[in-house]
Amino acid sequence: MTTLLPREESFTSRLRSPAVAARVGLWLGISFGVCFLTGLISHYAQNVSHPVAFPTSPAWGYRVTQGLHVLTGYASVPLLLVKLWSVFPKLFARPPHDARLLALHAAERASIGVLVAAAIFQLASGLANAAQWYPWTSFSFRSTHYAVAWVAIGALVVHIAVKLPVIRAALGADLDDEGQDRPGADRAGALSRRGLLRTTWLSAGVAVLATAGASVPLLRKVSVFGVNSGDGPGGIPVNKTARAARVTATATSASYTMTVTYGDREVVLTRADLEALTQRTETLPIACVEGWSASGAWTGPRFRDVLDLVDAPLDRDVRVTSLQESGPFRATTLQAGFVDDDRTLLALGLDGEPLALDHGYPCRLIAPNRPGVLQTKWVARLEVL
Amino acid sequence: MRTRVALVALGLLGGLYGAFLLLSRQALADWVEVAVWFAAGVVLHDFVLAPLVLLLGAALMRVVPVVARPAVVVGLVVLGTVTLLAIPVLGGFGVKADNPTLFDRSYVGGWAVLAGLVAAGVVAATVARGSRRHGAAEGTAGGARPRR
Repeated sequence: MTTLLPREESFTSRLRSPAVAARVGLWLGISFGVCFLTGLISHYAQNVSHPVAFPTSPAWGYRVTQGLHVLTGYASVPLLLVKLWSVFPKLFARPPHDARLLALHAAERASIGVLVAAAIFQLASGLANAAQWYPWTSFSFRSTHYAVAWVAIGALVVHIAVKLPVIRAALGADLDDEGQDRPGADRAGALSRRGLLRTTWLSAGVAVLATAGASVPLLRKVSVFGVNSGDGPGGIPVNKTARAARVTATATSASYTMTVTYGDREVVLTRADLEALTQRTETLPIACVEGWSASGAWTGPRFRDVLDLVDAPLDRDVRVTSLQESGPFRATTLQAGFVDDDRTLLALGLDGEPLALDHGYPCRLIAPNRPGVLQTKWVARLEVL
Repeated sequence: MRTRVALVALGLLGGLYGAFLLLSRQALADWVEVAVWFAAGVVLHDFVLAPLVLLLGAALMRVVPVVARPAVVVGLVVLGTVTLLAIPVLGGFGVKADNPTLFDRSYVGGWAVLAGLVAAGVVAATVARGSRRHGAAEGTAGGARPRR
């Protein structure tokens, strides 16, 4: 070696080839695509205004899309690492001398730089957020993860367009075909190309199995890296405790009331008043934006029945405010479709027991097909908009 | 060619929309931090992780007997990539004292179980491979295995 910096030709393994990169890239692209689309769904579901009504059915819809979002993210980690490994020599390709080619080369390198940076950013920030770890000080996770998703998917589409002939040739030929290999990249590794691909799929599979238990009850015991094992009051874990929300005193106070307003109509209800209304039980999942989910049998009056006390008309959004005094989700908007859905409850109980304080006692919102962060706990006020 | 040009245009549009969202909805300090994260991700991969993997590969070639190499590589890829994605839970960074329902298992213990399973798989695969080869004379010294 004459210089400290390796050259593209310094890497001689025949595994670092377009044949491998295209195949791993195909599945990484599919994984990123699913992650992007499910991310868009989640982002839209969390918007205050829904120009196109977000569906209330199936009740488990968000549970599935957000579970997929997080699991494709986990699966993408081994896929991305092997993909980057397979093309690593390209990092050391020397730029061409011709000015026009140099400009093209620079543009492609820039687009790949953006793609790699955005992909790593999305996975790293997503993994941290799913584990409730916020190692950033300034940016907001939700808006940044959303914006960079567009950057990543855009750069991915550009990358696919640029590489399309290579991808087509690689996927159209045998895995061991050497037609597109870099000159000199013919050293056999410890694994065959087939072996490396199988190892990659195995790693992605293990990544999913090791984490999926937080959303797939059957895998709870298997998933050694699941963010929870599904335990908690009423069989449902808690994301934010009453203590963390600083509502312990107000939520357990004997003077707790909930105010319902529509225009100048107003009623003030105690928990006993809510218990006196017709009680319904609905089995609905709590599906957290962090990906974990669990299903519970919730009991309480229908949300709609409570609004009838102030003669609120159908098809109106409702602002739901918590006892919480601060926090981004202190107040949320429940869109008309959810308001009027028969399954939407103001839950007073879970699994046959009174609601636990950490689940939102005295009273919480539970609606079908909705991100958990919007299922407001410790409800203090309903305001028909 | 037309497909490719259309795809490039579509990708640029998506990427620029993302850049617009980044710049328009955040303050200067926010996107400086995003820029630092972007750079750090690339640097950590290209100049820390990738060279470490190269060194590890070279070391393996020296110390691992030829018969065990395929299984050892498979095991290390599986364990290495999955360990990397488990760093946030392994580090316990999100654990909150008031909430015993989240991060309610021993992640280091879980990692040890996974590592044990991987190690058992590596040993089993190596033994199987060795017996298939009927103890063909394989050296333990360095150097690439000749292509079959």
